[in-house]
Amino acid sequence: MGLIDRWLRQYQDDWCRSCKCAMEKHRKQLYALPNVSVGHYVERKEPDYYKKNLHPVNRKADIPSGMYACGAIQYRCPQCGKRLTVLDPFLPVRDEEKHEGNIVFQAGELDDFLWR
Amino acid sequence: MNQKTVKKINYVYLLLTILLPIALIALLGFVGYKFFPDGGTGAVICFMLPTALSVVWWLFGPSTIWKLRKKAMEQQLDQQGFTRNQTFYGSTHTVVVDIRKGVIALLFFWNPFESFIIPASRVTKAWTDDGAAGSGFLRGTSRVSFLFLIDGIKLRVDTFTSNQRWKMNDEHVLTGISKADMWVQVLAEAKEASELRNGTH
Repeated sequence: MGLIDRWLRQYQDDWCRSCKCAMEKHRKQLYALPNVSVGHYVERKEPDYYKKNLHPVNRKADIPSGMYACGAIQYRCPQCGKRLTVLDPFLPVRDEEKHEGNIVFQAGELDDFLWR
Repeated sequence: MNQKTVKKINYVYLLLTILLPIALIALLGFVGYKFFPDGGTGAVICFMLPTALSVVWWLFGPSTIWKLRKKAMEQQLDQQGFTRNQTFYGSTHTVVVDIRKGVIALLFFWNPFESFIIPASRVTKAWTDDGAAGSGFLRGTSRVSFLFLIDGIKLRVDTFTSNQRWKMNDEHVLTGISKADMWVQVLAEAKEASELRNGTH
């Protein structure tokens, strides 16, 4: 891996900044955000908000039109075992998705929620 | 709830909005010509004032009436116990839906003094028009809307408009399509509730 690549990876969510290595996907789940509809998205950074409002769904097709969805991926560093959770709120629109930007929880704030 | 036919345009209001200022300009122009042939303050007032007032009226009059009437309609709906589950403020239409009761309230820009509160069972069809045109990399849209038929009258409510063509996967277009799809679903739910209440399902 070149220097530029290494430097760029520093800004990626799936990169362990301590061990300088790629993290592996530990868990992945799709959720619906039923209380957020199109045109009303506001970025929230409180983990409790997501614990309260995320409802697991199996498929994107289960999310009604105009309602936001949220992908959650938990990454785990294979070397130090550190875990972080990346939330990706998006608006599913037919075959497309309108992404609103990732929210990263690095201190295990959502661990209990994702594993329950 | 009223059973009257939906009327999108009140032609008297439309003509008065456009023609009344023109009539005022003509009238005061005539007064100025007749009584102030040599000019002076009177002539300036007669010729300038109605023109300035007309421009102000055309720019702000109908939009101010529209804003005030929207507020008045919402107050009226609240007083009637109408639950505003969904409201769409379009540029020329306001659509409010009480999903549980299956009732739709409508207000039109060119008919702002008459609101229509009708059972959603009168909606015969609702669909989204994404306005997609062109092919290949030129494929895009400049307007996304949801349309519905009430008693055979087609109502088009724009959720996205632009003076240029945007790609179909542009975030503004996607937002417009999502809103339109959601509204088609809302209207379908309201129609179902209305038909259940009427026992026609």
